[in-house]
Amino acid sequence: MTISNKRVIGGAALLAASTVALTGCAGFGGGSSSDESAGDGMSGSITFTTWASESEETAFGELIDQFEAEHEGATVNLNVVPYDQMFSNIDAQLSSGDAPDVFRVDYGNLGVYSSQDQLLDVSSYFSDDEIDDFVPAMWEAVSYDGVPYGVPHQTDVSALLVNLDMLESAGFDTSTLPTTQDDAWTWDEFAAVAGDLREALPSDKYPFVYNWQLGGAPRWFSWLFQADGRFLESDGTTPAIDSPAGEQALDFTKSFFENDWVPPTSSTKATTYADSLFAEETTAMAFIGSFLVPDMDYFNEFEWTSVPMPRDVRGATELGGNALVATKDTANPDLAAAFLKYMVSADAMNAFCAATNELPTRTDLSGDAIEFAVRPDVMPVFVEQATTIEPQDVQQVTSPAMAAINTALQDQLEAAFLGGQSTADTLANLSAAIEEAAQ
Amino acid sequence: MTATSARGTVSASAPAVPRAGRRAARFREALVGWGFITPNLILMSLFLFAPILWAIQLSFQETRGFGDPDWVGFDNYVKMAGDPVFWRSLANTMVFTIVTVPIDMAAGLGLAVLLNSALPARGVFRTMIVLPMVISGVATGMIAVTMFYQTNGIINKVLQAIGLDPIAWQSEGAPAMISVMIVAVWLRVGFNMVIYLAGLQGISPELYEAARIDGATRWQQFRAITVPLVGPSTFFLLIMNVIASFQVFDLIFVMTGGGPGDATSVLVTYAYRNGFQIREQGYGAAIGVVILIITLIFTFIQWKTSRTRDLVE
Repeated sequence: MTISNKRVIGGAALLAASTVALTGCAGFGGGSSSDESAGDGMSGSITFTTWASESEETAFGELIDQFEAEHEGATVNLNVVPYDQMFSNIDAQLSSGDAPDVFRVDYGNLGVYSSQDQLLDVSSYFSDDEIDDFVPAMWEAVSYDGVPYGVPHQTDVSALLVNLDMLESAGFDTSTLPTTQDDAWTWDEFAAVAGDLREALPSDKYPFVYNWQLGGAPRWFSWLFQADGRFLESDGTTPAIDSPAGEQALDFTKSFFENDWVPPTSSTKATTYADSLFAEETTAMAFIGSFLVPDMDYFNEFEWTSVPMPRDVRGATELGGNALVATKDTANPDLAAAFLKYMVSADAMNAFCAATNELPTRTDLSGDAIEFAVRPDVMPVFVEQATTIEPQDVQQVTSPAMAAINTALQDQLEAAFLGGQSTADTLANLSAAIEEAAQ
Repeated sequence: MTATSARGTVSASAPAVPRAGRRAARFREALVGWGFITPNLILMSLFLFAPILWAIQLSFQETRGFGDPDWVGFDNYVKMAGDPVFWRSLANTMVFTIVTVPIDMAAGLGLAVLLNSALPARGVFRTMIVLPMVISGVATGMIAVTMFYQTNGIINKVLQAIGLDPIAWQSEGAPAMISVMIVAVWLRVGFNMVIYLAGLQGISPELYEAARIDGATRWQQFRAITVPLVGPSTFFLLIMNVIASFQVFDLIFVMTGGGPGDATSVLVTYAYRNGFQIREQGYGAAIGVVILIITLIFTFIQWKTSRTRDLVE
């Protein structure tokens, strides 16, 4: 599943792979404070576990202070952990009955927990009118079998960042860059730009880099969706990737490596993020998530802007971002639900997204409603890019099988990109892996 | 004869110490012994034996770690037998072990011999070599990533500066495996050196003096005295290095993530991938059990076949 904000490589959790640790370990604490939470439902204490960038941690802290001020007697204990430890520890805590009351989860992992009956059903806490405030696809993303198991807190999508200096020095007229979905490059136009850049750039510089590294393999599905393909049929179990659209998407993305358009070190199992290659000016363009805009602005010394992702039959991008969920066994479900509801209220979501350059999931915050804190000039492209996400895309990428599909996708795409595996074999292997995972 | 009669004498005077008293003394002695090992046994049972038993149980189940597990018998092991990535990971683990263990031990012994002699500032050199031992594998891996970074890493920059082609450390299988091996050797050689140093310092200098008087060259002294007399250290290090190689994880996970392709995937990274990333904890545990069995078999064979494990001067 698409993962945002995972900026930390490695960590102490890596050591957990020894034989003994395979049996699971409790990890960091964070269970509910049941003794304190036996109040009237709006008082007591709950624990909220999340990973967070610096700006996210600040925003979470400020919103929690606000929530506590509005709910006298309520306490929310914020527990910020490294991304790499997040879900292995949540799994262990769920297993041992010591899970936090509320935690943050990406939309792909959410399906794993909701399908295993681990999350609080929040349907009784939201009226139909309140549900209508959310982008339908995003409410769909937190639902399993029609039941909402959390709230869609934010989303983020990728767009194409362009190093204006590199393009201009390669002789490209940057005034002709697309700015909206209507004038987005087609695949052919994008390929022509990449080809021109390849010829103009030195051999150790590359036209672009795609952000499918380090758990980001499902971002490849953007190409599949742009070709109007799908990897799961609407029944949620039948693989659909071995198709003409799948072949077209795979052939096109394989050509990135065959034509030296992307660095050979940027495949799906690479250990370096795409934004690093863009920031160090190894590539002229990069597909980057909106949540990285603050980092790009702080660390780069060259001029850059954002343009829409290329489109084929249609425009598409990945469903990034995260939901907030409460665990089914929380000792204070009313307070947990109240906190979730508060965090996706218009004011709170506005404040959070503005501070972190992430995108809202509410319809009343769409368009230019949010004043982003950093580089607001590049954000409209991301905001419009988010409109290319379709409900059928959401249904597929929130499948409980996504964790297994993600791994198969990493392996198979890497074999196709770097190992010379044929398109037919790759699609057949993916189809088999998806079938097994979705059983 | 004398001894026999002495024993007979002792036996004749045995009633002086009542049998019940001896039993009580033995009981007290046993009690003290159990008292010493009980804390250890409790900790080992809690954190070693119980988790291993739990892992074995888990390996017969299909579970995500939460929710109700399904008992699937030997399905996970059957799946493993037909899983090409498992066999590739096993082969990679063997290659990693066969290459790194001899280099680690030979380099460790060489450095120990060097730093056991009258070398200026040998304390400083010893510290430098042992230093990697105190750095975490993850931190070392992250440092190594920046060094072996294919596009802008210092190693490729140096190679280019002296007119050589850069090496595809991150996008080709063989160079990726070599980069991991280089870092693994660097990380472990200090430990090997320390153990060998301790072994060397237990060898009497008179043996070397006698050998020199007999006209033995330095190489002959090394081969005929040093190597045999550090036999127990060699045995210990062989076991430890092989186990460490079969359990290598942090370096590979950070440096290559098992890639490119499955070129650097080893058993533990594959177990982690299944257990924690795909959430097939039963399958991950089954791979863990296989790692345990392989290391136990290797240790048993080494124990039975090593002639120098208990050698003392």
